[in-house]
Amino acid sequence: MSRVRGERQAGPAAERAARGLLARRLGLLAAAIALMVAGSRDIRALRADRETVVVSEALTRRVPLSTYFDGIRGTLMDTPVFLFDSGVPGGSVLILAGTHAYEPASPVMAYVVMENIAVTKGRVFVIPRANPSASRLGMLGNAYPPFFRVKTPWGEKRYRIGDRETHPLEQWPDPFTFVHYPSRQNLAYQDSRNMNRTFPGRPDGNLTERASYAVSELIRRERIDMTIDVHEASMGYPVVSTYVCHERAEDMCMMAAMVLSAEQFPMKTETSPKSLRGLTHREVGDYTQSFAVLMETPEPFIDKFVGPMTEELMLTGRDEFMQTAADRGLLYADYDIKTGATLDYRVGRHLAGAAEVIRQMGEFHPEKRIEASWPGYADIMKHGVGFYLHDPAKADARRVFVN
Amino acid sequence: MILLQEIIHQLYFLMSAVVAVLLVGRLFRRKTRPGLAYDIVYAYALIPFVLRALHIK
Repeated sequence: MSRVRGERQAGPAAERAARGLLARRLGLLAAAIALMVAGSRDIRALRADRETVVVSEALTRRVPLSTYFDGIRGTLMDTPVFLFDSGVPGGSVLILAGTHAYEPASPVMAYVVMENIAVTKGRVFVIPRANPSASRLGMLGNAYPPFFRVKTPWGEKRYRIGDRETHPLEQWPDPFTFVHYPSRQNLAYQDSRNMNRTFPGRPDGNLTERASYAVSELIRRERIDMTIDVHEASMGYPVVSTYVCHERAEDMCMMAAMVLSAEQFPMKTETSPKSLRGLTHREVGDYTQSFAVLMETPEPFIDKFVGPMTEELMLTGRDEFMQTAADRGLLYADYDIKTGATLDYRVGRHLAGAAEVIRQMGEFHPEKRIEASWPGYADIMKHGVGFYLHDPAKADARRVFVN
Repeated sequence: MILLQEIIHQLYFLMSAVVAVLLVGRLFRRKTRPGLAYDIVYAYALIPFVLRALHIK
């Protein structure tokens, strides 16, 4: 029967039907392409984005990280390193920010340092985006905005939120289990792209391991006395509002935490566990001469139980579910929805936290003293972060860098 | 080892491109399931493979 019908359709009718089918499928293909172009607009914008920083007059040198290890040259991980050298002998510190890109008080703190720093003794190295690849990716399933904006006296400044791990466009596939080098400890598969699980790095390892190795090489070759890895933590994580320090740095961290808690804001300290491998506070301390310190602030945005992950939540940290968790005693830091955990508060904490632990290094080891200044906690809480970010349009072009 | 990693990494882009080409081919020329719903599925399923092959996502 069907053959008979088919035979009857052979001719103009069948031709019309075939043309209709072709048009329908071409239309669907065009719709898919349109959806692809529209749907990937934010993804492409995030991938191509460059942040602007107006560095202070104290900048003496800017080099790519590949200066210290050629194995990352030409990749997105070849991030810039900024040096502020007083020319006066003293200690040296590395502020390592953006190891986890989705903890953005970290790079913003680094930018505030870079834009306002004055150094009269010693050297300050800053890497504002340790994992630039991760800063160009959103976290799968979290549906949060790619950017947030900071209000300044001259307009708004935009920063990337990013993800925790290196972008799969740079490093893929993940192994079934990530075996940390050199401890051989088995870690979760996605930790092969987690820069704070790949230290001290491996020269012939994956891209994230090679980038970690480049940072370790910088620390060794420049004889960095203290490395401060700047992070943010969910409030349901015990090390929130904490210094985590290698045992060689624990005295200065304890002193810094006591001073901060007495004078400015609550700060805890913990010694880096020896059984937890790949983190900067463990591996930088073990494999370089540097005092390794990691700092955490409270970032409600990355807690798993908050409501919509919006730009407002990133900037204010106010969330009713977080308040419920606080009321039930489930958090590891004080929380009040009226004040939240604003970007100003988090950046201010980091600025003061870094300054105090550097000062303590000078107290314990006078030959490693560094005299450097940047806005403190009280300054940021009074004026806001934006007050300390300069307008690139009006700045000397030699001081403007994109990152 | 780095070279091997890079080859494997690039193979994923190649595989995405091959799958995308196969899906386009099947969208226009297939013997079974000729209905509209399947056309939509073939067109929609194409998106992630093209985005990966073009190094966008």
